[in-house]
Amino acid sequence: MASLITCPHCGTRPKEEFSIRGAAAPKRPSPTAKDEAWHRYVYVRDNPKGRILEYWHHVAGCRRFLVVERDNLTHEVFGVTDAAELERAGADE
Amino acid sequence: MSINLLHRHVLEDHISGFETDPNPNHLSVIRRPVIFSVLAHAGQETAVAEALWNAEDVAPRFCGPSEWLAVSRTVGAETVAGMLSAIAGASVVDQSDGRALMEISGPSVRKILGRCVAVDLHPEVFEQGHSAAMLCCHATANVARTGADTFEIIVPRSFAGSVFEELMEMGREHGLTRGFAD
Amino acid sequence: MTSYRLGSGGAINRGQSLTFTFDGRSYKGFDGDTLASALLANDQMLMARSFKYHRPRGVVTAGSAEPNALMTIGSGARAEPNARATTVELYNGLAAASQNRWPSLKHDFGAVNDLFSPFLGAGFYYKTFMWPGVLWEKLYEPLIRRAAGLGKATMQADPDRYEKSWAHCDLLVIGAGPTGLMAALAAGRAGVRVILADEGFRFGGSLLSESAAVGGRPAAEFTADVVEELASLSNVTLMPRTTVFGWYDDMVFGAVERVQKHVASPSPDLPMERLWRIVAKRAILATGAEERPLVFGGNDKPGVMTAGAARTYLNRYGVAVGGKVAVFTNGGSGYRTAADLLAKGVDVTAIIDARPQSADPVPDGLRIIRNGSVIATKGRHRIEGLIAERSGFEEVIGCDALAMSGGWSPIVHLMCQRGAKPVWSDEKQAFLAPDVGGAFVAAGAAAGQTSLGECLTDGAAKAHAALEALGRLVGSLETPEVEGEYDPSFAPLWYVPGARDKAFVDFQNDVHVGDLGLAQREGFRHIEHTKRYTTAGMATDQGKLGNVNTAGIVAGMRGVSPAEIGTTTFRPFYTPVSFGALAGTARAEHAAPVRTSPLHGWARKNGATFVESGLWYRSAWFPREGEKTWRESVDREVLNVRTHAGLCDVSTLGKIEIFGPGAAEFLDRIYSNSFLKLPVGRARYGLMLREDGIVFDDGTVSRLSENQYVMTTTTAFAAEVLAHLEFSAQTFWPELDVRFVSSTDQWAQMSLAGPKARIIMSRVVQDDISDAAFPYLAAREVTLRSGLKARLFRISFSGELAYELAVPAGYGEAVADAIMNAGREEGICAYGVEALNVLRVEKGHVTHSELDGRTTADDVGFGRMMAMQKPDFIGKRLSMRFGLTAADRLQLVGLKPVEADKEIKAGAHLLKDGAKPSLANDQGFVSSACFSPTLGHFIALGMLKSGRERIGERVMVWDGLRGSEVLSEVCPPVFVDPENSKLHL
Repeated sequence: MASLITCPHCGTRPKEEFSIRGAAAPKRPSPTAKDEAWHRYVYVRDNPKGRILEYWHHVAGCRRFLVVERDNLTHEVFGVTDAAELERAGADE
Repeated sequence: MSINLLHRHVLEDHISGFETDPNPNHLSVIRRPVIFSVLAHAGQETAVAEALWNAEDVAPRFCGPSEWLAVSRTVGAETVAGMLSAIAGASVVDQSDGRALMEISGPSVRKILGRCVAVDLHPEVFEQGHSAAMLCCHATANVARTGADTFEIIVPRSFAGSVFEELMEMGREHGLTRGFAD
Repeated sequence: MTSYRLGSGGAINRGQSLTFTFDGRSYKGFDGDTLASALLANDQMLMARSFKYHRPRGVVTAGSAEPNALMTIGSGARAEPNARATTVELYNGLAAASQNRWPSLKHDFGAVNDLFSPFLGAGFYYKTFMWPGVLWEKLYEPLIRRAAGLGKATMQADPDRYEKSWAHCDLLVIGAGPTGLMAALAAGRAGVRVILADEGFRFGGSLLSESAAVGGRPAAEFTADVVEELASLSNVTLMPRTTVFGWYDDMVFGAVERVQKHVASPSPDLPMERLWRIVAKRAILATGAEERPLVFGGNDKPGVMTAGAARTYLNRYGVAVGGKVAVFTNGGSGYRTAADLLAKGVDVTAIIDARPQSADPVPDGLRIIRNGSVIATKGRHRIEGLIAERSGFEEVIGCDALAMSGGWSPIVHLMCQRGAKPVWSDEKQAFLAPDVGGAFVAAGAAAGQTSLGECLTDGAAKAHAALEALGRLVGSLETPEVEGEYDPSFAPLWYVPGARDKAFVDFQNDVHVGDLGLAQREGFRHIEHTKRYTTAGMATDQGKLGNVNTAGIVAGMRGVSPAEIGTTTFRPFYTPVSFGALAGTARAEHAAPVRTSPLHGWARKNGATFVESGLWYRSAWFPREGEKTWRESVDREVLNVRTHAGLCDVSTLGKIEIFGPGAAEFLDRIYSNSFLKLPVGRARYGLMLREDGIVFDDGTVSRLSENQYVMTTTTAFAAEVLAHLEFSAQTFWPELDVRFVSSTDQWAQMSLAGPKARIIMSRVVQDDISDAAFPYLAAREVTLRSGLKARLFRISFSGELAYELAVPAGYGEAVADAIMNAGREEGICAYGVEALNVLRVEKGHVTHSELDGRTTADDVGFGRMMAMQKPDFIGKRLSMRFGLTAADRLQLVGLKPVEADKEIKAGAHLLKDGAKPSLANDQGFVSSACFSPTLGHFIALGMLKSGRERIGERVMVWDGLRGSEVLSEVCPPVFVDPENSKLHL
C-alpha cells in the first residue's frame, strides 16, 4: 500500500513519488583509479540485510536525490538527507 | 507573407459545449497565465528566494531547493521576464505554454483533492500561500493553497487533459463544475 | 415457529419494512437488519452448504468472522459472491442466493460427499489424484472444483465506479465499540484530528447488543449520545461501513469504505466502494474480541451459533434465534445470553457448563448441567436436540438453537501484519497483541480486557496516552458506570471429548478435529504446515473463528502450550477487498495518464492514425483516401519528403534547458564527445554512455548563449536522461554551477524536411535562413512572420535538408497549419513516426533499436565520438575494457536482400551463408527493417559479428520464429545519400 518518506524539502510523501536508484554507499572512483575499483563500483553490491543507505530520487517532488537510511528488514527509516548536502558535508570533513 | 497565429489552450477540447453556472465546488481554468521556471545558482538561493517573494504581481511556487515557478495572472510574460532577469544569480525560462493552471475551490475541495494527492492539505499543515510539487492524479504537479478553500494546480501541458478529466471524475460526488476563468 | 422476530426492541426501524429475496423467495425485513438477521426473523436458519461435505449450515456469528452464511448478492454484472449475510446491510429489493448447492439448498446432491467423508479427509486430494499427471488439469481439478467451492464470480464488466482517497489524522481509532467510542471521544474533545472507522453500518459495536446500563441509561441511549457528540466535532471524521483491513509501513492504514453497497439504486456520481489510505500519527486498535466456538460433535448444525451472536440477534435485531434455546459454555458469556433470552421471554432449556463450578448468577428456574458437555446434535437442516453428557451419563435435551461459548480471542490481526507475532497469555488463555511500539496500541477487548467497564476505561486511557505523546492532553475523560454486567471470564476448553459426529474447527473449510490429528501423525506439525495440509484457516474468513482453536487443539495433541504452537502468519486483508476497490479509477481510459502533443489537434485534422508510445499518443501515419494499408501511406510520405517536403511532429522529444557557468564542463563530462568548444548558435549531436561504457542515449545539444544550452533527448528516454543529469550533478559534481529544468511541454516542435524545406520555412520565418546565414547545425532563436519568437535548429534525422522549429506550445497548431499552407504549392505533406523511421533507416541513423543497452559507440560506428583525450566522462573508464573493444563484437551494418522482392524482418538472426540454421551459428541480428520506397526493396540495419569488415559478404537472415530465410548482402548502413550532399543544400 504505502511507505512514507519524509523529504527534507517537500515533507512526508508516499513512495510512489520516488524512484529508487540503489545503494548510496559506493562512491564513483577517480578516472584514473584501478580496474578493480571501477569494477566494484559498477558491478559489485553487498546486498546487506539491515541498515542500508539508498538513493531515492524525488521524481514527483523536488527532483532531488536523497540518501535514505533505512532498515530493509523492518522498513524503519532513520534519516533522509539531500545527497548533495551529504556530499558537501563529506567533502568538508 | 503575414500570418496571424491563434493561441490554443490545451483544455479547449475538454471544456467545449454547454457551460453551466458554477457550483460551489468549481474548477476554473486560467487561459493565459504567465509561468516561469526560476533557478537559483550556487550560493544565490536565499537572495533569489527573497527577491521572488518580494516581487510584485508574481506569486512564487516552491518546486525544490533553488527552484521555483513564478506565476502571474495579472501581468504579461514580457514584464515578468524583465522583472525576473533582473534578479542576480537566477536563470529563468518561460514555461507559460508548457503548463496548465487550474484553480479548484469550494467547501468540498479538500475531500476532492484527497482523491488526487497524497499530501495532507489540512490548513494547519498546508497553510495559505504554501506550495509544493507533488503527484496529482498520477502526474507531477505543483499545488498551492491560494485561499481557505482554494487551491491552484499547475500541471505539465501534455498531462493537462488527463489530470483535468480525473479531477472532474473525483469531483462528481460534490457536483464539481468547470470552465475557463474568463 | 423456531426463530422469530420479537414484538418489540432492537436497533431496527420497524416503521420501515424492506422486501428482499433469498433463492427466489420473497421475504420482509426492517431497516437496520442485516441479511442474516432478516432471514432468521423469517425462520430461515438454513443458509448455506459447506465447502467440501455440502453439510447444511446456518449462521455461527453476527459479524465479519462468519464462515458459513456466504451468499451471492445481486445478479448480472453486479453479482457479488461470498458475501457474508451477517454483514450485508438489508435494502429494498436485495436479491440473495445460496451457493455450492444443486439443485437446491435444501436438496443438495453434493451432500453425498458427506457420506464419503471417511475418504475425504485432509490430504485426500494430494494422495489420490497424483497419477497420471496429465489428468490433473483435464479431469481431477475440474471435477474437484465443481464438487467443492464457494460462489462464482461474474464474467461481466463491473458497471460501478470506485475511488481511492488519502486521509490524514493525529489519531486513528479502529472500531467504534465501547472502547473505540471512548477513545475517539477523549481525543475528539482534546481537539486533535480523529478518524473513527468501523466496519459496521452503525456505530456502537457490542454496545448495540448490550443489555447492561451505561452511565445510568440504556447502552443504546449512551451510544447514541456519544455518536451524536462525535458527529458534532469538526475535528472528528466518522467512517462507518469502513473496514480497516491493513497496517502498512510508516503508520499507513488501508481501509475500504462500502459507500453504496447498501443502496437499492446506486448513484452514478458516487463510488460503489472507496479505498482509503489513512496516514495516522497514532492509532488505537479497538476491534474487540471474537467469541470462540466450542469444538464438539455436530457443532456445525444450523442453529448452533456463538452465545454472543444469539445475544446480538436478540438485543440488536429483536430476533429470537430459537423458540427453545440450549446453552453450552465454559464461561460467563453463556449465562449472559441465557439471562437476556429469558428476559425477552424466550425459552432456555438448559445451560450445559463445562466447568465444575462457577460464580455466574443463575436466572431463576434455569437448569444448569455443570461439568457437562455436548457430544452430538440431532436434526439435519436445523438442530432439533442435543446429547449432553455428564459423568458418563447421557441425556437428550430438546432445543431448536444452541448458543455456545468457548471464550474470547482478542482481534489482533492488524497489529500482527508487519511481522510481529501475537503473544500467548496463560492468564487470559488467549493470544494478545504484540508490542509494536507506542504509535499503535490495542485497547479494550482487543487488548484482552474482558468486561464492558474495563473496555470503556481502557479506551479513554489509551487515548489519553496518545494525546500525551502528541503533546495535546487536556484534562481527562470520566468513564461512565456500568450496571448489571456479567463476568465474562472463562476456563479453557479447546475440544470436547467423546464426539459422536465431526467436531468442526474450521467451518468454512470443513476441517474437523480428525483432520488436525491426521496432519500431526503425518508429520505436518508446524502450524503453517498443518494449515496447508488441512486447509484450516484458509479461504475468505482466513480462520478468524477457527485459528485459535486450531492452535489450542494442536497444542493439546502435542502436549504443549499454545504459546509453543503459535499462530499462522497474519497478512492483509483483514476481510476480503474487491478488485474494483483496489483498482479504483485506474481502468479503461483512466488506466494510465495520457500525454498529448501540442500538435495533436493538427495531426488529427490531417487524419493521423495515432500510436501509443509510452504515455504519449504520437501520429504514426496520415492515410489519404484510397490508401488501403499503412504501408501505402508510409511509402507515399517517405517519397514525398525525399522529393518535396514533409512536416512531422517531434514535440515528444525530451527538451532540457541547461544554465550556468559550469554547463559546458558538465556537458563535456556527460557526453562522450567534446562540448567545451561548441560555438554559440550551433547544435551538436551527442552520445551519452552509461558508466559501464555502453551507449545510454543520443540527442542534440544547442548552445543558445554563453551559459545557456538546450538538450534534446529521445522520446523514450526523456525522463531517464533528466534523472541521469540530476544524479550526476547532485551526487558526482555538486561543485559545478549548472542548473537545468525540463521544457519538453513548453515547445511544440516540428521537423520540416525535404529539398523544399528552406523555401517553405522562409515563408514562415522572418530571419535569413539561407545556407550561408543558417548552415547545417545552426541553432538559434528566430522571429516568425507573425512576430512570434521561436527556436530554429537545422538538424536532420531523415538525411534531407531539414529544420526543426520549436514554438510555444499554444501556437503549435497554428504554426503547423501555417507551414502546411506555406508549403502547399511545394507539395508538402504531413508525415508520421513510421515514415520518420523509414527515413532514418534509409539514412542509417540509429535509435534504441540499435542502442539497445548492449552496444558501444564503436559498435554503431561512433568510435570517433569517444573523446578519449578528455580527463573524464561518464562511461570513459569502462569503455576501454577488453570486452568492449574486442574485434569480434557485433557491429552496425546495412543489409539488403539478394533477391529484391524478399522481405527482411526485424529480430531475425544473421548466419554465415551456408551455415546450418541454429543459434549455435548465430552471428548477429536484424535490429531495424523496413521497405524502402526510395530504393524499391526491403532494407535493414543489423548488428553483425565483425560486421564492418564483412561489407559485400552474403549472410543468411534466418527468422526461425516466423519461418523465413532471406539471403542478404552486407552493406554500409547508409543507403541514401552517403555523401551527405542533401544535408548541405
